[in-house]
Amino acid sequence: MKNAPRKQRLVVMLLVLLHGIVLVGGFVAPYDPIRQDRERPYAPPARIHFVDGQGKLHLRPFAYAQRLREGSFDQYQDDHATPIPLKFFVSGASYRVFGIIPAKTHLFGADEETVNLLGTDGYGRDLLSRILYGGQISLLAGLLAASVSLLVGTIVGSASGYLGGWTDSIAMRLAELCLALPWLYLLFGVRAFLPLLVSPVKAFLIVVMTIGVLGWARPARLVRGVALSAKERDFVRAARGFGASNSYILRRHILPQTKSVILTQAAILIPQYILAEVTLSFLGLGIPEPAPSWGNLLSSLQQYSVLSSYWWMYLPAMAMVPFFFGYLALSGTLQEGRGAAKIGL
Amino acid sequence: MTPKCLHAIRRAAWLGVVLVFGHFPRLVEAFPQSPQTTKTEFLVSREAVGKRGGRLVLSLRAEPKTLNPIIAVDAPSREVIGVMQADLIHINRSSQLTEPGLAKSCKVSKDGLEYSVELRRGLQFSDGKPMDADDVLFTFRVYLDEAIHAPQRDLLIVGGKPIEVRKVDAYHVVFRMAKPYGVGDRLFDGLAILPRHLLEKPYQEGKLAQFGGLSVSPAEWAGLGPFRLKEYVAGQRIVLERNPYYWKTDSNGSQLPYLDEIVFLFVPSADAQVLRFQSGETDIVTRLGAENFSVLSRQARGYSMTDAGPGLEYNFLFFNLNDTGAKSSPEAARRQEWFRDVRFRQAISAVVDRQAIVRLVYQGRGAALWGPVTPGNKRWANTEIKHSARSLDRARDLLRQAGFFWKDGSGGDQMLFDQHSSPVEFSILTSASNADRTKMATLIADDLKQLGIRAQVVPLEFRSLLDRVNQTKDYDACVLGLASFDADPNSDINVWLSSGGTHLCNPSQARPATSWEAEIDQLMEQQLVAKSFEERKKSYDRVQQILDENQPFIFLATPDILVGAKDNVGNFQPTVLESYALWNVENLFLRNASEIGGK
Amino acid sequence: MRYLLRRFLHAALLLAGASVLAFLFTSLAPGNYFDEMRLNPQISSETLAALKAHYDIDKPLAVRYAVWLKSVAHGEMGYSFAYNAPVAPLLAVRARNTLLLTIISTLLAWCIALPLGVWSAEHSGRWVDRVVTGSSAFLLVIPDIALGLGLLIFAVKTRWLPTGGMASVGSEGMPFGAQLWDLLRHMVLPVAILVLGAQPILVRHVRSAVAEALEQGFVRAAVAHGVPRQRLLWRYALRAAANPLISLFGFSIGALLSGSLLVEVITSWPGLGPFLLEAILARDLYVVIGGVLLSTVFLVGGNFIADVLLFWADPRIRTE
Repeated sequence: MKNAPRKQRLVVMLLVLLHGIVLVGGFVAPYDPIRQDRERPYAPPARIHFVDGQGKLHLRPFAYAQRLREGSFDQYQDDHATPIPLKFFVSGASYRVFGIIPAKTHLFGADEETVNLLGTDGYGRDLLSRILYGGQISLLAGLLAASVSLLVGTIVGSASGYLGGWTDSIAMRLAELCLALPWLYLLFGVRAFLPLLVSPVKAFLIVVMTIGVLGWARPARLVRGVALSAKERDFVRAARGFGASNSYILRRHILPQTKSVILTQAAILIPQYILAEVTLSFLGLGIPEPAPSWGNLLSSLQQYSVLSSYWWMYLPAMAMVPFFFGYLALSGTLQEGRGAAKIGL
Repeated sequence: MTPKCLHAIRRAAWLGVVLVFGHFPRLVEAFPQSPQTTKTEFLVSREAVGKRGGRLVLSLRAEPKTLNPIIAVDAPSREVIGVMQADLIHINRSSQLTEPGLAKSCKVSKDGLEYSVELRRGLQFSDGKPMDADDVLFTFRVYLDEAIHAPQRDLLIVGGKPIEVRKVDAYHVVFRMAKPYGVGDRLFDGLAILPRHLLEKPYQEGKLAQFGGLSVSPAEWAGLGPFRLKEYVAGQRIVLERNPYYWKTDSNGSQLPYLDEIVFLFVPSADAQVLRFQSGETDIVTRLGAENFSVLSRQARGYSMTDAGPGLEYNFLFFNLNDTGAKSSPEAARRQEWFRDVRFRQAISAVVDRQAIVRLVYQGRGAALWGPVTPGNKRWANTEIKHSARSLDRARDLLRQAGFFWKDGSGGDQMLFDQHSSPVEFSILTSASNADRTKMATLIADDLKQLGIRAQVVPLEFRSLLDRVNQTKDYDACVLGLASFDADPNSDINVWLSSGGTHLCNPSQARPATSWEAEIDQLMEQQLVAKSFEERKKSYDRVQQILDENQPFIFLATPDILVGAKDNVGNFQPTVLESYALWNVENLFLRNASEIGGK
Repeated sequence: MRYLLRRFLHAALLLAGASVLAFLFTSLAPGNYFDEMRLNPQISSETLAALKAHYDIDKPLAVRYAVWLKSVAHGEMGYSFAYNAPVAPLLAVRARNTLLLTIISTLLAWCIALPLGVWSAEHSGRWVDRVVTGSSAFLLVIPDIALGLGLLIFAVKTRWLPTGGMASVGSEGMPFGAQLWDLLRHMVLPVAILVLGAQPILVRHVRSAVAEALEQGFVRAAVAHGVPRQRLLWRYALRAAANPLISLFGFSIGALLSGSLLVEVITSWPGLGPFLLEAILARDLYVVIGGVLLSTVFLVGGNFIADVLLFWADPRIRTE
């Protein structure tokens, strides 16, 4: 289809843009994500105005300072006496670009004052900054873990389905064991062996490996099913007849058949793994406080009080939607050139 | 005086009492339908009068595990059992003082070693069978039996020896202790009197612990509490019905309890509990967190929320003061050197922002703590102890005195270093499932950052945490909380004694490791046997002072007890002692819609 | 027949292996059931030590495994520390409740996902497809917990539905018809959450598989022959696409006992999930092991059914 490459390019551009924003999160985020502001817990998103109370138009957008209402702990009101203008390319908290180059410039900010565009969490930390920094960790973790899962799952599944016999039985029984056992216990044990003070990088890698390694069984079974059927196709028989080795057949003939299953799984696994981190944090194996991650941010949503009173805590979930939409669309377009439209139904 | 002599005098006194007062009808007559030859001596309740009828629905956070008091250790089981059983002497949760229960009087001998208890006449179990001193004897025999390992046994060991129980006659029992015990009558609260006629056979067959599980048939289980078992549906609810043989009446003479039925629903999630209460499916909700309390208060329709004030829970930060010896690594040993320096602990106590904890963790519904006695404990606080405000300067001074110094670390901030020039950093453990304490730990870590200390909050699953603190002793610092059962220092004695199992910073010591721990041991023993409240308070005040000077536990904050009830629940008086809402369950009643207006 | 026997043998071996591994795993985790009692200042360490000895907690693994095997032979499957009662009856009641929920949700989820996925593949690239894909992305993102709480709040605000549990208070006294209606009303919420949670994955896979099948040569030939559209989609394309879907269906069966944990916790459905979670956190070992074995049975059964269906549905495999 003529549209397919164009659509694919659009999706890819969208994903690059989104990932780019997260990649330079230090620049886009106005504040340090772990800086607490104990006077402003659960502050709602600041409203941006261009017209002030007297009806005067300002070219520079501004917001009003938020003060706690008297006698309340989480009700705020705008202080119309103190408009805070937003400036661009301001100097603020230091951060490192790509973790190496120190820098201090931020896309926007308000000099000494704080303007929370997306509100604050229970400690008064700016939610926008936490979403951006958290995205760096979570997206990387999700992508890595999904890759590990899919890699292991595809190898095992295709080998199992193609070779059949004992290999198949053993691999599939292993997969069943993997899915059935109480991994929580093993994870507790693993945590007990690890030293308490684990560096954030190590913690991150542990999380990734844990999720990835535990998750190979499902893709493996799906791929195995397809391989079982693919190996009886005529062109495979022909290749065998021509004396092709097993690995050649696997690579050139079986694996391409499994492409659509793998791609669909990829698009589904990444969000699932990012959300699995919420469970891991509960076990003490997630990204430790105060470092932000989307899993951390979403764990507070488990409380009814947060859901009903502080709607802006939902925003990390909303931040994920465009990413997941992009992944799904990308996996869809990579399988494109298919479907009813092609045959003119 | 020999015990025999004492016994004879007592008998004579009792005879005299009966002759003199016997013909004055001080207590209300039993009802005609009670198929008893002895008239029941009721306890008259002084609460407001209510009306009969209705069903109360409550939710429990977890399913109770058993109805048998001998094996019940979890809170939901205790809550249900508390409504089905009765004790000899009861602590009134509202006044925090003792009052008669099944026993109509309790006399202490001059030497403080013997407690003579006189039972009410005509008491019956919930299945109609009579109750007398034989049941009391059987009960205490079971509790004290070493083969059964009942948790109650530890409560009944005074002065190193178990209490001796002796029956005088059908309505008199004497308890003898090895050493005088300051608050002997408080001992009996919560010790349910078990039915001998149902449990003696299983006891002799050694199967007592298996009896009284949730699936026991209502005909085979009985108690002396206001309610008895009606039905249990696994995983969903337990239904209790009125005990027609209950031994209390109200001031008008109507037999209590007022309610026909109580239903406990099992609702595993706190938020689901809140939603059920909001939708009107449950009538009372307790143990609310501050945020849920605010949500419910904002939308109060047909129900009211009550803040009963600070409870008895105390949250604290403590350090690993164990003597781990050769087992620990050199880094861990180095860190312990810091923890053992009292100035280090005092500095941390000076920099912790307790007000922020109360504000951010409890939304202001709590109180900051500088000692283990919370404002909810009416009589025992040492008011002399200064509640010093947060002071960064004082903390820095203390650290400087202890030999620490500051230097520029990576990232440009000032970091703290010890005498050997190693950076001061350690981990703070919390339970991952307790959001409040994790929040406290995060706030503390941020406070410590201002001192240049890098503290890492490590949330661990609860039992892994307990394993590290109690077993392997492989940790640096930990934030935990304990809740006293009773507003009396004896209920927590194992926390302060150096030999105690819950002396968390260094539990179960063979000999006190420091002089202040030795002093605390001595003082706690003193107050255990002291006879007057003033003596005990003096000893306990000094204990609190020692804790303040040495800071083995850095006390943080205590939450308020937050409850809610529908407007039509009458006599609802939440207290800060367990069970917060049901301590006067026999007096609770349901009003009609028309009566609610004039509350 | 031989194949069936072979799989049966495999299943038995697997269960035995799973039980041994479960024992191993549970001994890896730090802590035991009685640890929490150590925090109770009113219980002495001697009592705790006596209790631990009474329940054989510190005995070696082999001894405990042998005792447990004997208990399994008696149909008890071990003893729960918390409830002081045999494990099997405790698990049976709750497993029944969970199955009631999950069987209905699974059937419903598949009945919705199949037509939706086929429809989406049929109109791939057009607005129908985009709407379905978009809502999939949206549903994927929302954590089950938030979804559940959101629906619960909806139930509270509108008071149309009960806010959890399996039966209303006082339902024991109602006539059978009324009880059934009460049960159905209580099931609406958890079933809705389960079905909504399963949708994105199922729909995506169905759509992808059917779309791939539709591009095969035989479909083109069928169109040329004038096979009607619906018949084409359902009898031809779907059958060709069945392979990964059958594996997924096997997973659905395998997850009948374990997939609904979160939902059961939120809606206080008295099922296996919360019960097992509490047992794991409390280290109630034999309950956990019993639960693991029960889940393994379903998992193995699900995969077995999937394999049998694969053989039946895809003739290309049968030539083996």
